This record gives sequence, structure tokens and C-alpha cells, in this order.
Amino acid sequence: MPLNIAVLAKASLDPNMIRTRGDSLVDIEAMPLALSEYDKNAVEAAVQAKEKHGGKVYVLSVLTWPPAARRVKELEQVMREALAMGADEAHVVVDEALIPGDPLATAEAFAALIRKLGQVDLVVAGEASMDMISSQVAARVAALLDLPFIGFARSLEIGDGRVRAVRDLEDRLETVEAPLPAVVSVTGEANKPRIPTLIQVRRAFRKPINRYSLADLGLEPPAKPELGEIRVLTVSRKNIILEGDNLEEIAEKLIDALIKEGVIKA
Amino acid sequence: MVKALAFTMEPGLVAELASHTRRLAGEAVLVAPKEAASKAPAGVYTKAYILEAGDPAAFAAALEKVYNEYKPDIVLTIASKNNTTAAALLAAKLRLPMLTEALEPRIEGSTLTAKRRVLGGRAEASYRAQLPAVLSLARGAAEPLQEAGGVEAQPLEAPQPRVTLLESKEKVREAVNLEEAEIVVGVGRGFRSREDLKLAEELAQLLGGVVGASRPIVADYGWLSEDRWIGISGKKIRPKLYIAIGISGAPQHMAAAMDSKIIVAVNKDKNAPIFQYADYGVVADLYQFLPVLIKKLRERLNR
Repeated sequence: MPLNIAVLAKASLDPNMIRTRGDSLVDIEAMPLALSEYDKNAVEAAVQAKEKHGGKVYVLSVLTWPPAARRVKELEQVMREALAMGADEAHVVVDEALIPGDPLATAEAFAALIRKLGQVDLVVAGEASMDMISSQVAARVAALLDLPFIGFARSLEIGDGRVRAVRDLEDRLETVEAPLPAVVSVTGEANKPRIPTLIQVRRAFRKPINRYSLADLGLEPPAKPELGEIRVLTVSRKNIILEGDNLEEIAEKLIDALIKEGVIKA
Repeated sequence: MVKALAFTMEPGLVAELASHTRRLAGEAVLVAPKEAASKAPAGVYTKAYILEAGDPAAFAAALEKVYNEYKPDIVLTIASKNNTTAAALLAAKLRLPMLTEALEPRIEGSTLTAKRRVLGGRAEASYRAQLPAVLSLARGAAEPLQEAGGVEAQPLEAPQPRVTLLESKEKVREAVNLEEAEIVVGVGRGFRSREDLKLAEELAQLLGGVVGASRPIVADYGWLSEDRWIGISGKKIRPKLYIAIGISGAPQHMAAAMDSKIIVAVNKDKNAPIFQYADYGVVADLYQFLPVLIKKLRERLNR
């Protein structure tokens, strides 16, 4: 049975590229966007399912970071990455009313977009975005569409109109099953995301990226919590590199320092 | 007066939840599995509902009924995976804002403020939301409230779940408790084989500490079990002393070790990011340095 699969993918702030203004205020507008780490696993899971069962993979995204005018290009680049991995079409929502993003608003936009796409058999998302780590959007989309939800799947397989997954909880692994259509969020262990070849990257430029506003989706601007400032947590460390003529001397210095700090006892 | 609906699918988190609930709310009810609901402290809750854990969606559906009857100002839980999932499902149905792993929550009038760790745990975001709202509180932020139970507990029915459980398997656990260890020795990709981890184990034993690991050691090589994994998705540690050996210092790892009092890094690459996060750094091959350090420690500590 061919499957229509929607992947929820985020153009996230890259936590490895934190930029600050003043001493600790995160300068969001100066940080680049990248395809969120676990969303790559979601794209991979969707493309694998398509390769096995046939069908189509839609990659969906909601722009959540300002400034919208400039970020649209970055969002498209992120979508190209998913398209190069094997998704067929991209559908993105860009609207000032959704920026800065919040899981409440983002999920409502995703749900409306999925309704607009028509028959979708499976929705896959990453367990959390790498910037805001809320683990809400996939569950919220499931609730809004009234679909079964499996969160934190470390593996999934599809067959006979059902999805079977292993849910990775703190103390146990649960093998669970739900009828399609369903929503699944995957962890980093679910698969190894492919690196697209140059030809695939080039081909991705011919695939469509469709853009929507809230009005296109028939949505009112949602009320969402207000995101205030983001500050880098600074822990001041001593940053002392211990040096010496030989390793014995360095080891002695380290032991002396740790005794002085009171963290080991002589 | 703030009215709270507190819930947990994990019975073990009930004392921590009670502590937050008492601080934030003037009146509250609890929804939890029997073993937790029966211990609901009367000083915090006016009523408890017994609801067995099962699937988060079924749990959330039952919560929604209590919400609509009780009409709380805030829904509170502690951030386990299932609790956060149930909270998000409930929040979506009710169109409520929600903050995951919230820290320092405060309510003034009808306004909620809280903070969250974001960007790989390296930064903190401040939020403001209007009540009613849902809070999935970060674990370990409140002293568990140990108080005798004794409120009326009434059973609650959950609908049949659409996600069916076929099998549940306990995770392999070793007898380590990284989160509470006072001394942690972390191992990373600088180790060339599983056997070589003995060096780190010897050092940990000597110092009365435990061995933890970065993601590749656990997830890619499988040399140690998952409860040894120090990282945002693994365990967060707060020891007096963290000795990171052969670990480059990826942000996801460092964020989980940031609350360590003293950090020592041993790495042969002098440009490894780990040195920026360290109090004391040793630029050396771990295979040469560790035996020397262990020998010197034995002499100094008389062990």
C-alpha cells in the first residue's frame, strides 16, 4: 500500500553557533538556521518507508525565527536538504504572527497544513527540536488531528495499515502498535540519516516548495506565550592548563589542585 | 487563589510534584496511579483521583474530564517523557500554552513566568504566559515533599487506548547512580577499545567515583549501558569533581555536566573544546597520562 507521509521539520537555531550581544544576551538574528538534528532521523524514517511501500513524502515546516524576510531563504535551504534526502515536496508556513515560534501556534499551523494536503497516512517528527527542546509539537499535532500518537520511537515499521514502534522511555522500552493514520516522533537512535549525493542535491532544486500564510490555511493568529530574552548560561571556569617537564609532575600538580579545591582528600 | 490540577504517570515523581504544587497553588487535586494517589498529602491536595498509567493519550483524555470539571488555573506535572507527552496532548486539546522542563515558575495574578534551558542546555529563555497554562516542570528542581497521605482517592476511568502495548522490557541497569555521584570519571572517543575503559574504572574506584560516558561510547560503540550516558538526552550530572577523559566536549555533553563544581579535562588535542569548559586541563595522551596519575594518586592517598 503506497503511503503519503508528512515529515515535520524545523529550521532550528544551531546550538553550536550561539552568537551573543553584550555579555550574555543571545543574538537570535545573528544565528544561522539548520535542519534540526532529530528531524533528519524523521526524514530518513519517512524516506525509508517510502522506499519500502511506495508513496510520497511531504516535508512540512513552520518558520519560527525572525526576521521573516531574510529567514525565508534559509528555510528554503533547510527544505532543500530534506528534499535531497528523498522527500518529494516541501510545504512551508511563513507568517509574522507565528514568529517567534511556540509549540501551540506551530502545531496549529501544522495541523491545518496536513488537513489541506488531504490523505496523509503517517506523520513523522523528531523527538524534539535542537533549539527549544520542547517535545510538544508532534503530540499536539496528533491531538489536533485526533490521531494516535507514539512518542520517542527508537525504531518503527509499517505494515498492514499499522505502525509498530519501540517507545524509548526512561526505564523501559515499550513495543507498541497503532492503526494508520498516526503520528510518531523518533529519537536519534531510530536510524542513520543519509548524506545526499551531489546529484540528489541538484535534483532537489527541481522539487517544489509551496508557501502558505495563516490566512491561506484559514487560521486566526493564535495567542501564544511570550518568549522574552534568551541568555547564555555562563559558568566561569578556571581554564588552567597544567604543564610540567614530565607527566609525573603534571599529575602531582593536578592532585595538589584537587586537594586544594577540596574535591579529593589526601 | 490559584487552583492546580497536578498529575503524574510515574508514581516515583509524586513527592516532587507535591512540593511544586504546594508552592504554586492554594488549592489542588492530584491524578496519579494508585500507589501515588493513595499517598497524596492532605496539606497539598483536597482530592486525589486514581488513574493507572497506560498510554499517555488515554491518560490525557481522562485528565481532560477532570480539567473541565475542576477548571484549574494551572496544570502541573514533572517532566518525564510520558508526563510531558500527556501534558502536550492535553494542552493541544484545550488550546493552552505549555512550557516543557520549566524552571523557576512564578504566578502573579493571572500571569505565569518561568524559565527554560534551550540551545542544547547552554542558554536560558524567559517566558511569560497567561493562565490557564500547562507546566511540565524540570526534574530535580524541588525537594520532594515527604508527608503522610490521607485525602479521599476516587478511581478514574481512562478510555481504551488506540496505541496498544505489545511488550514492555526493563532497560538494562547497572548499579550506578551518575546523577547523585560526587565524583564522575567520563570516558569518550579517545579510548580505543572497551578493554581500555579499565583505566578509567580504576581511576574512578580509587577516587570513590563512578564512570560515565559521552554519546559515542554508549550509542555508537555500545561499550557501556545507557544509564552511563552523560548528555542532554542521557543523564545530567552535578558532582563535586568531573574528570573528562578523551572527550572532545560537544555542547550536548557539556550542557549535562555544567553543574559540576570542578571539571578536569584530559585530551591529547590541545584545541579540543573541552578545555574551554574545564577548570584544569591536561594536554596529554590518556594512555600515557592515566597510568601515571593512578600511580601518583595511590601514593598520595595511600590506597
